[in-house]
Amino acid sequence: MSAYGTTRQPGGGAPPKDKITDYHTALFRRLAWEGTVPVEIRVDPKELPANSDRGLECYYLQAPRVTYLPLLMAEIRRFLMDVVFDEAAASSLKEEDWWFETEEGAIAKWHWPLGLIYDNHTISMSVKGPPPTPNATATPLRLILHLASPPTEKLMLSPSQEACKQAFMGQLKEADFIRWGSTKRVTGLRKLEQDGIWEGIKDHNFDDYWKVASKVTPSAAASNALSPGSSAHTRPPSNDAPSTFDRDGAYSVRSVPVRIYLPDGPILQEVVPPLLDDGHPNTLYHFLSTHLSMLFPPRPPAPPPSRAKPNPQPPAVPQLAYAMIQGVIAPQEAEMAWLGVCMAGADGWLSICVGVNRG
Amino acid sequence: MASVIGASEAASRPSAVGFIKPERSEQFEEALKALENYKKKDPSKVVVRFKAVGNAPIMKQNFYKITSSNRFQAVIQFLRKELGWQAGEPLFTYINLSFSPAPDDTVANLFKACGTDGHLIVNYSTTQAWG
Repeated sequence: MSAYGTTRQPGGGAPPKDKITDYHTALFRRLAWEGTVPVEIRVDPKELPANSDRGLECYYLQAPRVTYLPLLMAEIRRFLMDVVFDEAAASSLKEEDWWFETEEGAIAKWHWPLGLIYDNHTISMSVKGPPPTPNATATPLRLILHLASPPTEKLMLSPSQEACKQAFMGQLKEADFIRWGSTKRVTGLRKLEQDGIWEGIKDHNFDDYWKVASKVTPSAAASNALSPGSSAHTRPPSNDAPSTFDRDGAYSVRSVPVRIYLPDGPILQEVVPPLLDDGHPNTLYHFLSTHLSMLFPPRPPAPPPSRAKPNPQPPAVPQLAYAMIQGVIAPQEAEMAWLGVCMAGADGWLSICVGVNRG
Repeated sequence: MASVIGASEAASRPSAVGFIKPERSEQFEEALKALENYKKKDPSKVVVRFKAVGNAPIMKQNFYKITSSNRFQAVIQFLRKELGWQAGEPLFTYINLSFSPAPDDTVANLFKACGTDGHLIVNYSTTQAWG
């Protein structure tokens, strides 16, 4: 477990607290990795080649959140060629001209992880669509597959797996740069490892992916950052006791690589220090109420205690919006540094999709 | 907002329906207004400094003011135009000699995260340097 949880192997006799931290880290990373979304792909009926088996032109799949559309093309194409299209009519089709859009007309980008495409659609519908029924099972993301005239400017990338891999590696490097001001951790990987991490995505293999990812992802060990009344940067490392200040840890980065997605845009990026000026960990609440205060108004302080109310609570604020991470509404007290190493996407980026609450 | 005492707490309990409904749709309107505000395009400009790498030609003018809300893809197209290069000719771009940004990263976001000395450094070359 600890091989996936931390980038540093704890020395012999590591305190039990580290083992618990490693367990939770590995648990959430495994949950994020194993997350899947239901997708329904339907060929645009106007573009079906002659003699296609109409009525069957819909393909359903439950695909990993960390995968990409170019990686799903092969199986989608196989289904359509085997079951739907007439061989002769389909022979002139060029796979490189195929592209996807949502029912609402949003183009599905090749370099966005599928989970992000799904969550981005969810928040878009939080504004447009009818209010969701509580406890409803996840609705499939309905994508329309077009077979020609790709809007190349909006797609920005070619649909090839190679272009997708390059984009993925680029995102890993950008995340590395955001964290440390350099990309040496990613560029320091051997070619075999760089290929290996992408193979892990292609095969959806957790071990293969994390074998390499653990070298470039900061460890989640909070060390002394969480103990109340103490702060990691005021206690100098001791030569006698094992140092618990992790220079490569999540709480030592300059900034957590985060992007915020609002319904139908824009996409925001801010500097996200792991610790605030007072030494406390930066939380989702603090981050959102600072940068999106119109949607996440800061909580006013509790009124002073009185005899009638010795333990007053701060007044409730309206919950205008929610923050969705990996398809789950994240609690406001979650720490940004922890989220960045346990709930991030496979490309190293923490995607926060902000949706609107309905009546 | 919460003009009725206890309305906010009542609103969070699924069983309470009645009087909270008007407040909810008011809440939704407020959220929509907030989204409209955040959608407004930032008219400010970022100073981009283009730096040639390797055999790439150095431009007469290296500093340009580019609108913050532009996507990086627009910066690449702008650079191509300034260099006079056709779409097919190889052009690789990097930030701070470190990474190639996603084409839909905005100039504003890149500057916030990677700006140095008040500008965003964009390196360009004819060969893939930091692939």
